[in-house]
Amino acid sequence: MIAVFRPALAPLLLGLALAAASHPAFARLLTGGGARPLAAERLLDLALNHLLLAGTGFLVVALLGLGLGIAATRPAFASLRPAIDTLAAFAQAVPPVVVVALALPILGFGGPPTLLALLAYGIMPVLRGIVGAIETVPAEARSAAEAIGFKEIQILLGVELPLAVHGIFETLRTAFILSVSVAAVGALAGAPTLGTPIVAGLQNQNLAAMLQGTLATAALAFLGDGLLQAVAGRIERR
Amino acid sequence: MIIAAESWGRPFFKNSFSVAAAFALPFILWRMPLLHLAPNRLVSGEAISSTTALGAALWPLLILVALGPCLALTGRGRIAGFLALVTCAGAFALLLAALGSGAHDLLAGQPAAARARLAAGAWLTGFGLCFGMLQGARAIRIPAPGWLVAACIALVVVSLGASGLLDALSLTVELRGRRDGLIQAILDYLALTGGALVLASLVVAALGSWRRGRAVVDLLVSGLQVVPAVALLGGLVAAASALLAMLPALRGLGLSALGSGPALIGIAAYLLLPLWRGLQSALRAPDPAMLDAARAIGLTPRQIFVDLRLPLGAPILIGGLRVAAVQALGLATLAPLVGAGGLGRLVFDGMAQFAPDLIVLGAVPVVGLSLATESGLSTVEAALRRRWSS
Repeated sequence: MIAVFRPALAPLLLGLALAAASHPAFARLLTGGGARPLAAERLLDLALNHLLLAGTGFLVVALLGLGLGIAATRPAFASLRPAIDTLAAFAQAVPPVVVVALALPILGFGGPPTLLALLAYGIMPVLRGIVGAIETVPAEARSAAEAIGFKEIQILLGVELPLAVHGIFETLRTAFILSVSVAAVGALAGAPTLGTPIVAGLQNQNLAAMLQGTLATAALAFLGDGLLQAVAGRIERR
Repeated sequence: MIIAAESWGRPFFKNSFSVAAAFALPFILWRMPLLHLAPNRLVSGEAISSTTALGAALWPLLILVALGPCLALTGRGRIAGFLALVTCAGAFALLLAALGSGAHDLLAGQPAAARARLAAGAWLTGFGLCFGMLQGARAIRIPAPGWLVAACIALVVVSLGASGLLDALSLTVELRGRRDGLIQAILDYLALTGGALVLASLVVAALGSWRRGRAVVDLLVSGLQVVPAVALLGGLVAAASALLAMLPALRGLGLSALGSGPALIGIAAYLLLPLWRGLQSALRAPDPAMLDAARAIGLTPRQIFVDLRLPLGAPILIGGLRVAAVQALGLATLAPLVGAGGLGRLVFDGMAQFAPDLIVLGAVPVVGLSLATESGLSTVEAALRRRWSS
């Protein structure tokens, strides 16, 4: 049991430590007398909003990426692979800030442009990662299953996905970390996330708030990473 | 029975997809707004539909836009690929020219501050056509199809721009007002990216020589990757200001909490992982048995390096460099957050002023440079693999 969770332990502990360090009392201690730290409730509000935004984006990206990834690895769509790689390279070339900025005049301030950036920046790496993971399943495993009379769907659920599960979880973990990072960028478009105290702190020289935002954002990323590693450890065990 | 279903299934899927694609692009061109007519550069204005924006060019364009991508997706062989490339390129040129003259007609009689801006339909159709050109160029099976397409696009845009046909589009107006600033921003951006790459490479080279600490470096470098970029940049500024507050004498040495310094360090921190992984797998590329064999037949360390390590490791190292370089270009757009310059500055200014043209003016070179870096370095990687694999 412990062995399954051991890799997740370090990020979880680090995340908890960072979250504790983002408490206003600590920020005041660190930045001295004139500091104007954020109240703990306000920080928690921002953290929940950040998690909601990043979580929504991550869920959509994960489901869409998984569905499209499974579709793209079916023989009928094999000819689409180069097109997927081209689109992935293109999506990677448009940084999140640029997506947020370009969506601003159309979608307005706040959550919507951030969500668009989450999708636009996240979907292609996830799709490519999932296709890559499924393709690492040896062809012999597939033909053996075919030989004993498995149907397409049985091969997918019983052979391909279980054998690719490690790669799929690695891809999803990266996607989650990316979502937390992009949601922080969303603060530039006025979305209330943990990036907000960082951006505002940089503008009006509020060192304490900036530090709190930094620590809390990093805490969220490490905690999510640790949790996903724990879940992945359990499922891969089975 | 199963075999019959399969042989019927594949072309069916492929064709239905291509037909859908062939209908989607003309539909976008026909129904979505192609231009926005705004009273000044800061508002989005009213949407202009295809019939007004394109005039007599609408019908020929619809046919070309349906034909090109369909050829690119269904055609087989080099001739079909060439036809797809030419059709898509022709459609792209006609689209730009028609939009340029449409914008010119729309602006006639409007006040001088009025702007005619490219709208979503125009961008999407343009991207679709570029994608069709790329698919066509691939089917011709020439080396570096991406560069051929980039050259086609550049040729179309530059020649139309030089002839003055695009002068009425708001992006051209914005470009004309900011040409010097744009060039400076591109140079700053490249300097920032290149500087971060050099810094990260030096750190990785130094860490690589520390044999005992490999596990620690692994953990540290991948842990850094988890920290969101905005947080790391903010943290660096916070740390630097705390340091300066404790030791004000450092200010005299030219150190400051904001500017290129924290941006460089922040970007370089994320490049450590791809470069470190690249270095480690490049070093591990020749397996120990191979190295033993080389030593046993009496090769000198120099010969082992030249004949064994370099051919196997160099493509992997370049692969790591490619990932790092593309990441650096993306991260450098965040640099204005901590007071550094570059193309991100144009994007940030555009956001602050709510000026869409300025955002696009910053975004286009970012995307172009990133795509060029990706494809340039993967060409080098593939060339190295080919050269040494034979």
